[in-house]
Amino acid sequence: MAKMHITTTINGEPTEFLCEPYETMLDVLRDNLGMTGSKEGCGSGDCGACSVTLDDRLVCSCLMLAAEAEGHEIRTIEGMSEGEALHPLQQKFLETAALQCGICTPGVLVAADALLKKNPNPSETEVRYWLAGNLCRCTGYDKIVRAVLETAADLRGAAE
Amino acid sequence: MDSVVEDNQLGMMKYGIGQPVTRSEDPKLLRGEGNYTDDVNLDGQAYGVMVRSPYAHGTLNGIDTAEASTAPGVIAILTGADLDAAGLGTMKCGLPLKGRDGSPINYVPRPALATDKVRYVGDPVAIVIAETATQARDAAELVELDIDPLPAVTDARAAAEAGAPQLYDSVSGNTAIDFQYGDTAKVDTAFKEASHQTRLNIRNNRIVVSAMEPRSAVGSFDAASEGYTLNVGCQGVFGMMNTLAKQVFNIEPEKMHVVTGNVGGSFGMKAGAYPEYICVLHAAKVLGRPVKWTDDRSGSFLSDCHGRDHDMTAELALDADGKFTALRITGYGNVGAFLTAVSPMMPTMNTLKNANSVYRLPLIEVASKAVFTNTTPVTAYRGAGRPEANYYMERLIETAAREMGIDAIELRRRNQILPSEIPYAAANGMNYDSGDFPTIMQKAVEASDWDGFAARKAESEKRGKLRGRGVGCYLEVTAPVQEEMGGIRFEENGDVTIITGTLDYGQGHWTPFAQVLHQKLGVPFERIRLIQGDSAELIAGGGTGGSKSIMASGAAILEASDIVIDKGKKIAAHVFETAVEDIVFEGGAFQVAGTDRTVTVTELAEQLRGGLDLPEDLPRDLSVKHIFDAAPSAFPNGCHVCELEVDPDTGVVEIDRYNMVNDFGTVVNPLLVEGQAHGGIVQGLGQALMENAVYDSEGQLQTGSYMDYAVPRASDVPSFTFATHAVPATTNPLGAKGCGEAGCAGSLPSIMNALVDALAPLGVKHIDMPATPEKVWAAIQSAKAA
Ligand code: FES
Ligand code: FES
Repeated sequence: MAKMHITTTINGEPTEFLCEPYETMLDVLRDNLGMTGSKEGCGSGDCGACSVTLDDRLVCSCLMLAAEAEGHEIRTIEGMSEGEALHPLQQKFLETAALQCGICTPGVLVAADALLKKNPNPSETEVRYWLAGNLCRCTGYDKIVRAVLETAADLRGAAE
Repeated sequence: MDSVVEDNQLGMMKYGIGQPVTRSEDPKLLRGEGNYTDDVNLDGQAYGVMVRSPYAHGTLNGIDTAEASTAPGVIAILTGADLDAAGLGTMKCGLPLKGRDGSPINYVPRPALATDKVRYVGDPVAIVIAETATQARDAAELVELDIDPLPAVTDARAAAEAGAPQLYDSVSGNTAIDFQYGDTAKVDTAFKEASHQTRLNIRNNRIVVSAMEPRSAVGSFDAASEGYTLNVGCQGVFGMMNTLAKQVFNIEPEKMHVVTGNVGGSFGMKAGAYPEYICVLHAAKVLGRPVKWTDDRSGSFLSDCHGRDHDMTAELALDADGKFTALRITGYGNVGAFLTAVSPMMPTMNTLKNANSVYRLPLIEVASKAVFTNTTPVTAYRGAGRPEANYYMERLIETAAREMGIDAIELRRRNQILPSEIPYAAANGMNYDSGDFPTIMQKAVEASDWDGFAARKAESEKRGKLRGRGVGCYLEVTAPVQEEMGGIRFEENGDVTIITGTLDYGQGHWTPFAQVLHQKLGVPFERIRLIQGDSAELIAGGGTGGSKSIMASGAAILEASDIVIDKGKKIAAHVFETAVEDIVFEGGAFQVAGTDRTVTVTELAEQLRGGLDLPEDLPRDLSVKHIFDAAPSAFPNGCHVCELEVDPDTGVVEIDRYNMVNDFGTVVNPLLVEGQAHGGIVQGLGQALMENAVYDSEGQLQTGSYMDYAVPRASDVPSFTFATHAVPATTNPLGAKGCGEAGCAGSLPSIMNALVDALAPLGVKHIDMPATPEKVWAAIQSAKAA
């Protein structure tokens, strides 16, 4: 079967790649494009380690065919910080040690960022339910939830 | 003893011991730049996929690879016969544990690939290697296995009974070890004479470890040097190197280079060698190119070692005042189809060591069998016997209190070992060196607003909810430290590298180890690096496990630093043209006593690099390779208080508040230690309320995906209030006690005691883990019907 030629935008950069029709976005990111920040924790949409956004919508890249990226805009963990400066969420996770092994962290950050873009003032319950798609076996979630709430408060403060 | 802890000089405070320093690895991890095993790709690598047994038990008559071999992209298919022909050895459990009659463990060897029999669903029988992972996966489905199924047994108690299917000809009654400790006659007498006996049949449910990073390995072989390299996630490269080199490949350990980058969680599960690692290494040699294998999650559920799975009867004897007179734990531990390096320990020795907990207990008996079954092998899982044993004890105490009409806190108080009784020689052979158990419980009780409970309970009742609270005191016996490397290398670029053989899979060792070194030697914190995952750099390494890393590597770094100081004094004496005896080391600098002539460690290292003209007999650099000999177990302890609500209509349990006070001894980095407690608590919460690995009667895993197996999610858990009350250990130079497993040890009993407390008014006396809504609802219904 001939490979498909896909034209898309990844983290703001126009990107073209070849893929098999059955390949997932996650496979292409990790194996073809060398963007290994997105992780495979399950391959079945249960863990969120592969979280990316597709036109600002949070999706599991393990459940998305790479071909579906055609003409759309993908954002991954690699596009989160600007150069040396960490994104405020990343900075807060750093300051509060809201990560341990770090394998879930890219997905958690992408998901949390998507939440704050939609809802800049989430309650603790809203954060917990939004992040319920991201499994973390290490942290017990407490520091993650707190970091997201604190970042939201900081960002609101800065916007005032 | 070293005074490093008090020595927290002002100038070093920011990164010194006890400071909440952020983690040095995090900027990379937060950007998605971590280097986990599956992120490693080597030039020319091929991909391996395992062929696994679909039967729990059967005779393996043959493996037909003809069709699969001709599938697109297939390079090779290796079976157990190929590994045998190459003369590869088997993985062995070498624990020196003895059975009740003095006999050793039934050490059944584990081949990487089954040849005669399959013994669990997921037992690997072949590896298919192809140009791409997809091709290997497709071809693996074409491998035909000729297996005659045999009856399977998945439950340890059933497997130990007469007439059960036998896994091994050489093992009678499927029993790996029949363990017994304690004076049976005396314990019997104590129970006969007791004014009260409490007895619980108690299940310690099987856990799917579910590290979020699936296991992965890349094997390669260099024909010129005849050396293997394995990139793999594990808990210690030195041990992995030795196991593979000595047990399996029969080569010098130097020829087996093990490299570990970031590890995405392990909790005991990734500690040992696995069949897949042997397969990719051997395949790399045969094919002359690297071979990579990464499990998919369905594979992880079957092939990653599971945790827990004990079936015990726990009994407590008390006198009329409620004083404990004897504890007896008897039952079974399921070790699955093969032994890992440590698996017989958990239901036996580790249960014994940890059941005593913080209590005065004249007599203890543990009699348990570790039993083979047709299930995935079981190994250490966060706590490895520690949370289990504490859980048994705390459930017994709570039950006894209710039965005897004594307040549960009061009952604990009457039996807790007092600080004045420490050092305390426990009946299980442990010697407690430090601790203040009553104060810790008191602090935890106060933190939980104990007196406000009645009002909260009444308020819950108004909403139709049942409120309960429970206490979980715990004391854990950490793994003793043996032979840990403390390497300190002064690099050409001015960095200082710590080299040690513990290995973190999320704990974040780099920062606390650097804090210890920074405080001791005064070298700049930001110039300190850590090498932990390269076997070629190590001269010893005990790995991580049993909550011992800070005791092991911390002590090794301190002792190595002393050697750096000794070397430095000699060199400084030469530089300052004075006698060695005149040089003192203070605040990170060598000083001619009583003068203002000083040189810091960093400056001296720089001068050495620049080329100092030194006499023959002086060291040329400050670098040190040291082995810290040993430190005994430490005894982290604490008290957790959980308060929860049950919805009687649905059986759903919601934790409302959770408080804990812990004694981890000297805490090097409180920011990280609190995270360890959180993570441990939630793993315990998962076991208590949600998680359960279930096999059907044929040995098929019914809970083989995240749709069937419930790992706690952010919406399932509360937030926590954390505090410490430190009584430093006296048995290691840091005074640390270890914290990695304590969260689980406190959360299992506090959550389950709280749940039973909520249901007690209905007549519920005990409920087994996991207390899923279904089970809680059913317990409520049958209590109502009774
Ligand atoms: S890998 Fe995509 S949800 Fe788990
Ligand atoms: S930090 Fe390890 S899984 Fe989340």
